[in-house]
Amino acid sequence: MGKIILEKIINGSLKIAKEEILLENNFVKRQLNNGIKIFAQPTKKYTTTTVKVFIHQDLEDDIVTKTSLLPFVLKRGCMRFPSEQKMRVYLEELYGTGFGVDIIKKGERHILVFEMDIVNEKFLPDKNNILKDGLSLLRDIILDPFIENGGFSKDYMNQEKDILKREIMSLFNNKMQYAVERCFQEMCRDERYSLYKYGKIEKLGEIDEKNLYEYYLDLVNSNPIDIYIMGDIDLDKDLSIIEEIFDFSRGKVKSIKPTFVNKEVTEERVFFERQKVEQGKLSLGLRTYTTYSDPDYYPFLMANGILGGGPHSKLFQNVREKASLAYYVFSRIEKTKGLMLITSGIEVDNYEKALNIIKKQIDDLKSGNITDYEIDSTRKMLINAFKEASDNPSLVISLYLDGYINNREESIEDMIRQIQTVNKEEIIKVSQKLKLDTIYFLTNKEVGKAGKQ
Amino acid sequence: MIKEDVYCKKLKCGLDVYLILKKGYKKKFAIYATRYGSIDSEFIVPGENTPTKVPDGIAHFLEHKLFEKEYGNVFDKFAEFGASANAYTSYTHTAYLFSCTDNFEENLELLIDFVQEPYFTEESIEKEKGIIEQELKMYSDDPNWQVFLNLLKAMYKAHPVRNDIGGTVDSIKYINAETLYKCYNTFYHPENMVLLAIGDFNPEKIFNQIENNFNSREYKPQGEITRIYPQEQDEINKNLIEEKLSVAEPLFFMGFKDRNVGFGGEKLFRKEITTRILLDMVLGRSSNLYKELYEDGLIDDRFQIDYDGRKNYGYCVLGGPTQDPYTLHKRILEAIGKTKNILNEDTFERIKKKMVGNYIRGLNSQEFISSVFVSYYFSDIDVFRYLDVLEKITFRDTLYRFEDLIDPNYHSCSIIMPE
Repeated sequence: MGKIILEKIINGSLKIAKEEILLENNFVKRQLNNGIKIFAQPTKKYTTTTVKVFIHQDLEDDIVTKTSLLPFVLKRGCMRFPSEQKMRVYLEELYGTGFGVDIIKKGERHILVFEMDIVNEKFLPDKNNILKDGLSLLRDIILDPFIENGGFSKDYMNQEKDILKREIMSLFNNKMQYAVERCFQEMCRDERYSLYKYGKIEKLGEIDEKNLYEYYLDLVNSNPIDIYIMGDIDLDKDLSIIEEIFDFSRGKVKSIKPTFVNKEVTEERVFFERQKVEQGKLSLGLRTYTTYSDPDYYPFLMANGILGGGPHSKLFQNVREKASLAYYVFSRIEKTKGLMLITSGIEVDNYEKALNIIKKQIDDLKSGNITDYEIDSTRKMLINAFKEASDNPSLVISLYLDGYINNREESIEDMIRQIQTVNKEEIIKVSQKLKLDTIYFLTNKEVGKAGKQ
Repeated sequence: MIKEDVYCKKLKCGLDVYLILKKGYKKKFAIYATRYGSIDSEFIVPGENTPTKVPDGIAHFLEHKLFEKEYGNVFDKFAEFGASANAYTSYTHTAYLFSCTDNFEENLELLIDFVQEPYFTEESIEKEKGIIEQELKMYSDDPNWQVFLNLLKAMYKAHPVRNDIGGTVDSIKYINAETLYKCYNTFYHPENMVLLAIGDFNPEKIFNQIENNFNSREYKPQGEITRIYPQEQDEINKNLIEEKLSVAEPLFFMGFKDRNVGFGGEKLFRKEITTRILLDMVLGRSSNLYKELYEDGLIDDRFQIDYDGRKNYGYCVLGGPTQDPYTLHKRILEAIGKTKNILNEDTFERIKKKMVGNYIRGLNSQEFISSVFVSYYFSDIDVFRYLDVLEKITFRDTLYRFEDLIDPNYHSCSIIMPE
């Protein structure tokens, strides 16, 4: 605390202006000459500094597999540390700095994620520079990958292709997630959204170390790149480190295509799939026609909470507590694509019973058969969830990123304010847009008359 | 660094209360737990002479049923106060928790009240059986859980850690109100429990509130609960359990059975941390063995290493999805045979450094602090001594521990193959 006051005196009014931003609990934004955006939030709450780099790409059939493979090839080594083992040794030296890569899908946007979590120096016994060291390593992994003979390492790439293939196949092992993914796939079969975030096994064969490297160069040259940093950082000193190490010249930044939302539902479609499972997994896919960029998003968030957002919700109360049909049942939304998913694990023979109860809950929501208790509890639950999220840097970044890609940049305080004013009429109105599109059931019985396929 | 922010007090009723101050955090969190888990299915009730044996899965069943009250469901009350509540049952303990940003005192009162005031009816017990049956079936469809359960069954002949925490569809049929009350009255006395709260609050005020609540209940001292565990031999039960399930790729776990057991406290803490350093040196992300297995396509980043050490059992687990479980097993065994000679002090110091960082990182999460705290508390370990204990561990300790634990004669395997 004392340090800030001292700096305030030295740097005068500029510093005070920055501290006001800090109180707002929002991100300070900077843009580099090459178009890279930096979002920084200084806070003394955490013992570590969280850094995330996002590279945005369109979710497209012809590139989805290359995009998915890239972060996993990049994490294998850079010119400075040409093997993952050497990199891991270095990360351990930096007091176990956390590092990982991932690939995520938000609407019809595909995002490469590089993340680092660095312990704040003030908690460590010896004086050091691990924030700077960690950031430099992150830069090297993304911008100076291990290259030989004009391409990525053939061995690294082949190993990662093999792992990606197994990762794609292993969706089958997780029946809960499988039933969700399959429902969305069938529902969005003609839309880019149906592409699995890890890509397609049959496309792996076309990728080699040279064309993947060319694709990577193109991506780094022209795709949007964001860097998020949260922790006890100094906006002048620490941001200038980022500005310096990520300042390289690149081309014009391309824009990401919008996600297709307003798909009309002509008929309810039902899919049964048979596997050897103990428990049937039922998934319902609905079109919401409401995304985070719409003015009625918060009423819709309330509607989802009332329907299936927790133990107080209609689905939990009626499918689980009253009918004892399930252990888990909930609804969740995809806020960029405008989808809702309801899912539950049930006895296969209870398919009709469970489906009817679920449909009844959707109808009750639409017709305004909603109690004050359901509205109050949902509102409190959401406000509490947003407030709690502010204690978790990854969640804060994820919420802000959602806003950023939906052109709605809000702080957590903004979100809470909007939840507070939602009323019952708005909830009913937005619920009435909901349309059941696809029913998917993973069963262990012979597929009966109800099923297609 | 966090030490000075921990306050603790033993109440007259015997309950240990811990408060941790987290300045600037919006979230407040409390957890109330009992030293009663799935392995406690045979015991002597204080004051009685003969042992009581109860159906497997009853601790978990009780956890579900405590949420039901004459007025309805406790979840609804927490929802009214804007909190999100939850509970879990492990092999050794059961915990009830909530997190909130407003109405902390009301929620805390509710937490204590609902755990201290059971309300079981035969009708609601029957209804719960349907829900728990679906929970058990959900886990039966989860190959990652099955491969782990099978490993414990392979390692242990008699110890109840070999049984699923939730029991079986069959065992829970025998649960009724009378047995639930008997277990409740035995294990939910404050002497057998701990309460922890974390957040930005006034500790004195919170202590007073908790103390007033318990004083009004006028608990009498309970005395020792005798827990009866079957005698477990050092020998493993089986070398291998293999099962076919609906999976796309095989899963492989191997475990070394810890035979150096029978103690808790700082001795156990030291053993556990030493074991974690050792496992990281042998098969962590920076080890040669990890690199070789990864490059040969036998493991990937889903490969895990872990150690679970309790007072009367312990084991380490290695494994994950693999294309070829038999080759992976052979390669690990061969390499481990040679590993002891190549362990070195530099690696040891580096792993220690990493563990310091990981501990400091862990302090960011209230959930993490509380679950770890509770779990260690029931092993008579003060988790906040972590850095001190870690500091004192030497390279030589890891070599001794290697001899102690990593013995191929005391290991089992569990494999799930695609159908």
